[in-house]
Amino acid sequence: MSAVVLPILPPLLAAMAVLILRRAGPVLALAGATLSLGGSLWLLARVADGHTETLLLPGLPEMPLRLVAAPMAALLAVAVATVGTFVLIHAVGYMRQESHLPRFYGVMSLFLAAMQALVLAGDWVGLLAAWELIGLCSYLLIGFWFQRPEAADAASRAFLYTRSADLGLYIAVFMLIGSAGTSEIAASLEADGGASTAAGLLLLLAAMGKSAQVPLQDWLMRAMAGPTPVSALLHSATLVAAGAILLIRTAPLLTPETLFAVGLVGGLTTVAAGVIALAERDLKRLLAASTASQYGLMLIAVGAGVPLAALLHLLAHAAIKSALFLAAGDFQHARGGTGFDRLGGIGRARPRVFAGFALSALALAGIPPLSGFFSKDAVIAAALISPGAAWLAPLALTGTLLTGAYLARALRLLWQGSGNTRPVAGSAWMMVGLWALVAPAVALGLAFGPIEAMLDLASAEAEGTGAVLLGLLAAVGGLTLGWLVPAPRLLGPVHPWACRGLAIGGGLTAWVGRPAMAIARGCEYMEVLLHAAVLNMGRGGLAMARLVRSNDERRLYPAVLHIGQANLAMARLVKSGDERRIDGLIFALVAGVRSLGNRARALQSGLIHRELAISATVTAVGLVALFITLLRF
Amino acid sequence: MITVLLLALVTGAILFGVGVYGALSQTNLVMIMMGVELILAGALVNLVAFWRFLHPESYSGQMFVLVVMTVMALEMAVGFGVAIARFRAKGSVEMEEAGDLKG
Amino acid sequence: MYAQAFFVAAFGLAAIGFGVAVFRTSSMVRSALALLFSQTAVGCMFLAMQTEFLGVLQIMMMATEMSIMTIFMVMFMMDPGGLGGMDMSHQKRFSIGAGLSAAGAAIAVALLADWGPITAEAPDAAMQTRELGIEMLGRSMLIFETAAVTILTAMIAATAVAIPAHTLADNGNKEVSE
Repeated sequence: MSAVVLPILPPLLAAMAVLILRRAGPVLALAGATLSLGGSLWLLARVADGHTETLLLPGLPEMPLRLVAAPMAALLAVAVATVGTFVLIHAVGYMRQESHLPRFYGVMSLFLAAMQALVLAGDWVGLLAAWELIGLCSYLLIGFWFQRPEAADAASRAFLYTRSADLGLYIAVFMLIGSAGTSEIAASLEADGGASTAAGLLLLLAAMGKSAQVPLQDWLMRAMAGPTPVSALLHSATLVAAGAILLIRTAPLLTPETLFAVGLVGGLTTVAAGVIALAERDLKRLLAASTASQYGLMLIAVGAGVPLAALLHLLAHAAIKSALFLAAGDFQHARGGTGFDRLGGIGRARPRVFAGFALSALALAGIPPLSGFFSKDAVIAAALISPGAAWLAPLALTGTLLTGAYLARALRLLWQGSGNTRPVAGSAWMMVGLWALVAPAVALGLAFGPIEAMLDLASAEAEGTGAVLLGLLAAVGGLTLGWLVPAPRLLGPVHPWACRGLAIGGGLTAWVGRPAMAIARGCEYMEVLLHAAVLNMGRGGLAMARLVRSNDERRLYPAVLHIGQANLAMARLVKSGDERRIDGLIFALVAGVRSLGNRARALQSGLIHRELAISATVTAVGLVALFITLLRF
Repeated sequence: MITVLLLALVTGAILFGVGVYGALSQTNLVMIMMGVELILAGALVNLVAFWRFLHPESYSGQMFVLVVMTVMALEMAVGFGVAIARFRAKGSVEMEEAGDLKG
Repeated sequence: MYAQAFFVAAFGLAAIGFGVAVFRTSSMVRSALALLFSQTAVGCMFLAMQTEFLGVLQIMMMATEMSIMTIFMVMFMMDPGGLGGMDMSHQKRFSIGAGLSAAGAAIAVALLADWGPITAEAPDAAMQTRELGIEMLGRSMLIFETAAVTILTAMIAATAVAIPAHTLADNGNKEVSE
């Protein structure tokens, strides 16, 4: 066994064990996640010198499944396992009051395993399978409280959105396998020409669905109906990250035009989602919009041709956003909801949680020396040196400004005001999970140097100081604006529209619902036509039958009648001869059969099970007899 | 290789046993049919294992599997026909109530 | 080879587990779905034993068949969801005995018999399909044709049995009265 399976197997086994045993969920899930963390760290240590480890598994004919651990994949595996472990620790406290815990911990473990498989997958078939699995798990987890209509609705909405976009991934994968002749990701990325542009755009579509980019951003906000640990995992290192990871991994394939499209989508999203976040009235939904906006920044970095910056921001964001969500989960338990109208003054009531939240928020806004400063700086530097800098750089800077503004607004709303705080059960677990993730959120910046050295990807050092100054200016400006100016005044006329989530052309209904309905209606129309045709055919047949029948009655019927009468006459003649001699014999036979039948009748009870039992017994006896004869001769 | 053959044969045997139990113990006609399906599935596993590990050169083994699959489908079709007729006549397919079939 | 043993054992366990689940739940829909999974696992065992064509055929046929079965379950059961928790079995002890002894006898035969030499290499998938086709239209032609006629007969018989009885009676009366 190669070390490559170590991050995947423990959570998978934990999921199976939890679902089979139906008890000890937290212990098993935590053990699985911790082992996965240890395994991925070991894997990272093994591949840190730049070589790759490959494991071939039997798969489709000609297309074996492979798991490949390159330094980048191992790094991502570590991130996934870290976030997963600490989110699970937090969940032990958060989910204490809930029922159906085996389902929760089982699916969470499966989710982790699927994400590790996605990160480590070395061929398209395995990647597709993992991609589907995380989609399924997120559906199950968002809909964990499926008794609540809004949670069920949010789950199916998330599923529909991501599935529609997944079609892009499928077509892209088929195209890539078709043009490269192999399902290995690394080999198929060397394809170029027209196919690579089309495949790149389709991959972008898939990533837009999973990473909630404009115009498919709506499901992410609604997915907040699930439990908060789920949101933390979903947003930081798993589901939403899958889209960005896909683009980072396939970056060598993307042509300049595709890259520009990626950057533009990312830029638009970062601004649009930032505006939405600024107008949100709910802490969790604000964080969700912020996730979409941060993934927009990563797409800008990919589009600028510097996937390394996107990767760094992904890592920093994973730690920061999970910490933010975990703090929000604690607030939620303390106040019974996450609307800002309930959360007023929570910062003063729970200072230790708020300190973690504030540190993470400052890190996300990009204040030195916290981790977000370095990663955001890399993104802005990338945007400045890219060919499309005229478009991308302003969008990235606006995104940074908005990030500062909405985070400062959240901090202000949490600090000011007052409300009744309830004691929180399981607070110790949640505190451990939270601070364990705040630590990397603060200090991850130190690790960026070694990571850059290890990954051997191009970075954007050129306009370092300018980018640093611009980024810092935008972040501080945003924070000041957000702290001082209320959201409606800041946004002006855009505010009401932003409150509706910037739904473009009717949101889900227009993009997914209506086409589906149109197809259904078309099918129905076809069916009506078919039905009419069948009815007409039937009517034609009936008319013909009537024609034939009237013919019959007039001519054929009398003839048949005459033949019958002649037969009867002959039969009468024969009968008189028969009766005396043969009948006696026949009657005796009949009597014999009847008495036998009467005996057999007792067996024939009409109850199938009894008859089956009898036949099974007889078969067994016959087999034994057969066996004995075989033994003897 | 003999391990794999034995694994398959034992699996087939256990499936057969489960099917026998089901066919004998269930009161519902459709559930009885499920038991029969399991019995046939056990037979299928054995047939494929025999073909693969003992005589891969003779395709009569695979042909036999095809025939058994046909039998499964037919059993289903006729069984459902009977079930529909029974349901129409009696409003239920519970076999405890089939005492009126007594001859 | 170890991989083959592992997959055969894993899918075999799944097939048995779902097979047992068929008779352990009181919800009919669940038991039909469990049977579907069991048959699919059997199909996967075929795949693990390098019998691609039959494996795929088994999975596809059983998927259709069991979905139809689910529909029938819902139609005919008085309690398809199993909410009443009724016990739907009888003559339990005899059935368990029969099942155990059948399985035990078959296992004993499987383990005690001398199976002779084992062939390690299977023909590849394309070759198998080709040879099966030739077998079907060559030596086993008669069986194949018989199966076809049997299918036709069964279709007619099933339809005839399933048609409501009174329509037949009506037509019969008319013919006789004329």
